[in-house]
Amino acid sequence: MHCEHARDLLGAYVDGELTHNEQHAVTEHVATCAECRATVEDLQRMSQQLRTTGREAMPAGLALRVRAALAREAAAMEALPAQGVAAMRWRQTAVFKQVAALAAACVVSSLITWSALTWTDATAHVEQDVVSAHIRSLLQDSPIQVASSDSHTVKPWFAGRIDFAPDVRDFAAQGFPLVGGRIDYVGDRRVGAVVYKRNLHLVNVFMWPAAGGAEMGVQRQVTKGYNVLHWNKAGVTYWAVSDLNLEELRQLQGMM
Amino acid sequence: MAAPSSFERATLPHMEAAYNLAFWLMRNRADAEDVVQDAYIRAFRAHASLKGADIRPWLLAIVRNVAYRALARRGRNSNVVSFGEAFPGRGGEGAGELNVAADTPSAETLLIGAGDRTLVMAALAQLPAAFREIVVLREMEGLAYREIADVTGIPIGTVMSRLSRARADLKIILTRLIEKDESNAL
Repeated sequence: MHCEHARDLLGAYVDGELTHNEQHAVTEHVATCAECRATVEDLQRMSQQLRTTGREAMPAGLALRVRAALAREAAAMEALPAQGVAAMRWRQTAVFKQVAALAAACVVSSLITWSALTWTDATAHVEQDVVSAHIRSLLQDSPIQVASSDSHTVKPWFAGRIDFAPDVRDFAAQGFPLVGGRIDYVGDRRVGAVVYKRNLHLVNVFMWPAAGGAEMGVQRQVTKGYNVLHWNKAGVTYWAVSDLNLEELRQLQGMM
Repeated sequence: MAAPSSFERATLPHMEAAYNLAFWLMRNRADAEDVVQDAYIRAFRAHASLKGADIRPWLLAIVRNVAYRALARRGRNSNVVSFGEAFPGRGGEGAGELNVAADTPSAETLLIGAGDRTLVMAALAQLPAAFREIVVLREMEGLAYREIADVTGIPIGTVMSRLSRARADLKIILTRLIEKDESNAL
């Protein structure tokens, strides 16, 4: 083995990291090369020096200090999964609450929609009926069966024909003279129709006992160009239909 | 204190090696203690992932990582060139290579110096950290090249070349220190 090649391997040789063949070859070379032998001796001396005195002595309290820190860490790690579980539980509870709230909201919403739809449906149906009845009354020879401007004539006429006593009053002084009354058929039932006149306009006011009996403020619709007012008062449902303008129709409604 | 846990039984025997590596990287006892404690906590958190592997190189690798982070932090905080601290007396690996041939000390000179522990330690302290750690792991802890490669995460060939150069440089630094020591004595 050449000296230059051997020199590169001397460190690994001292460390015992060479292959068996290399180790053997370097041993042979060192035996014959004084310079390489000196280097090996230097390396060995340095190694021994570092090995025997190089280590920094560990401070006495370090092991205890580290063990105390480990104990704290272990306690913290044990507490952590518990917190995790608690958080999970809390999250599950929160999710459950949200799901429950959502479900409840869905049910409530469905009920409201259903009732609104059915109510609207029934109301729309009645509205169509009253408007049709109004138009029908205009098409006939006379919109009335009992012609009288006297409420005391009209009101008894209804008795026995329908199952309640409609509110019949004359508003001639206010510009809404009572024309008369008739029986009509609205929303699958016989209803009373009281007819008023405003100039050349006719106003049909349909009335029958309110289903729930609840008071209800005036609702306004416009159907086929007719103004329709709808309200409940004192257990009676009123539908007023006319081609009269809204303001004057409201004026009549206000008096009833 | 409670009986040692299985983790403690496995790692406490290596605490001297851990502290020694930490000390030689930090070159400061207090910092080395902090590094060891931090490293053991990290090892404890991660030891479940260590299945059957040799615990000593693994533990020393953690110590080394913690120490390098601490050194980087120290360098930032002091706002001083940490380079000079980590690589004293040279511009880093491969730069400003010392002239080994011209400076090779005689065996006699080394013999004089070898008796003085403080001189050898001072010489080692002057080596760049990347070389110093390999000397520490090889010479003091007796790790094989393969184990050093595992701890440092550098290829085994690099371990070999760095160790070779570290030894040569150590010799040169030691010679200079001895010469300075002698001239001071005169």
